[in-house]
Amino acid sequence: MSASIDNPHFLLRRLHSLLGLLPVGAFLIFHLWENSQSRFGAEHYNEHVVAALKGMNYLPLMEIFVIALPLLFHAGYGLVITAQMRAELARYSYTRNRLYWMQRVSGIGILLFLLLHVGMTRIAGFWDPSVGDDLFAHMQAMLIQPWMLGLYLVGLLLSVFHLANGLASMAIVWGLTTSVRGQTLFGWVCVLIGVLLAAMGIHGLMGFLS
Amino acid sequence: MIEQPIRLHIRRQDRPDSASYWQEFAIPGHPDHNIVSLLMALRENPVTISGQRVDPVIWEHNCMEEVCGACAMLINGVPRPSCSALVAELEQPIRLEPLPRFPIVRDLLVDRSRIDQGLKQVKAWIKIDGVWDIHEGAPRIGPGEWAANYLYSRCMSCGCCMAACPQFGPHSAFLGPAPLAQARLMNAHPTGRYDKTQRLHAIMAEGGLSDCGNAQNCVRVCPKEIPLTTAIGELGRQTTVQMLKDIFGPR
Repeated sequence: MSASIDNPHFLLRRLHSLLGLLPVGAFLIFHLWENSQSRFGAEHYNEHVVAALKGMNYLPLMEIFVIALPLLFHAGYGLVITAQMRAELARYSYTRNRLYWMQRVSGIGILLFLLLHVGMTRIAGFWDPSVGDDLFAHMQAMLIQPWMLGLYLVGLLLSVFHLANGLASMAIVWGLTTSVRGQTLFGWVCVLIGVLLAAMGIHGLMGFLS
Repeated sequence: MIEQPIRLHIRRQDRPDSASYWQEFAIPGHPDHNIVSLLMALRENPVTISGQRVDPVIWEHNCMEEVCGACAMLINGVPRPSCSALVAELEQPIRLEPLPRFPIVRDLLVDRSRIDQGLKQVKAWIKIDGVWDIHEGAPRIGPGEWAANYLYSRCMSCGCCMAACPQFGPHSAFLGPAPLAQARLMNAHPTGRYDKTQRLHAIMAEGGLSDCGNAQNCVRVCPKEIPLTTAIGELGRQTTVQMLKDIFGPR
């Protein structure tokens, strides 16, 4: 019997879950770590971070197959899942119910932020090579505007929340955590992961302003 | 001692397709009332606070001891069985509404047949033996496992968990927590486990386990304190293993 393969419903949902961590979540962690090197200044950032990444073997293929397509599937199927939500936050004001709602709302927020973020950096670089040649200056010019810094902060925090909370529910979905105690403990581990990632991300944003 | 009258707001609906409306009642107080006995008292004299005589309120009730699950409704905004909702412990005016997310038949009576459909879908039963005597007693089971399984056997299909579930309702095919928990129970039974693969495949289809969003309201509102979210986590593990078997074999 292979009913669960013949009917893709379950597999698609698990694929959505898996892709959220690998490669999308892993890329977010890598991305935040790379950009936290902004604190070393423009020269280091442009040469050792941006230029090194640009020189990577098979870069366009990796961008498409490791980042863009998994992200698009995760986002697209995420919107389908979001449409199933009929949350009643006022009636059931439990933490997990709020996190359930927040996971879906943050997903939509991240999607909007990414359109802007990717458009103003990677896509803008197609037309204007100076964006990629001196990304530090480009980012600095953007983030120096308070509303743009605010937008990036919101985008960052939503993304980190979505990853950390996604990790906690992923553990339940895949059957790693089953008991209430296990789910609570791992939930706190995810809070710690989220706080650390948020700190690293904010550190990276501040690095462009120094 | 003269008791204060009990104030009651009831959301009523005359037909499945008609609009709902609220009516207010005041019933002579009695210290021992629960919601079922209160509605029985109201049925004797269904007069609103404005003195209008109306049709008696329709609702379901049966056992009066929180084991049949028939009388679940929304009481002051919380889904719970009305027989175990004691009036003395409720804030007044008491607001009664039909159990949400199920089709309304009339007043507080809803059609909960989706619970039964869900139980059928997950094959929430055990094939004990054939039509002949198999000359064997029931298989033995350890006390630890028995105690864990017993928690799930307390489900009375009241539907409170499904009423509180943000993924369940007329908009979705999701089975809801109660049938999933029964799949967990039957999969653990020494005889029931022979149909485990079938049950897992049933919950790996549309409306199955993967439609759960882990909002975990179910476990908060369950009147029998069934560890529904633990069942969902355990089924997550069982389906992960089943998925690997389905993809890579052996089946």
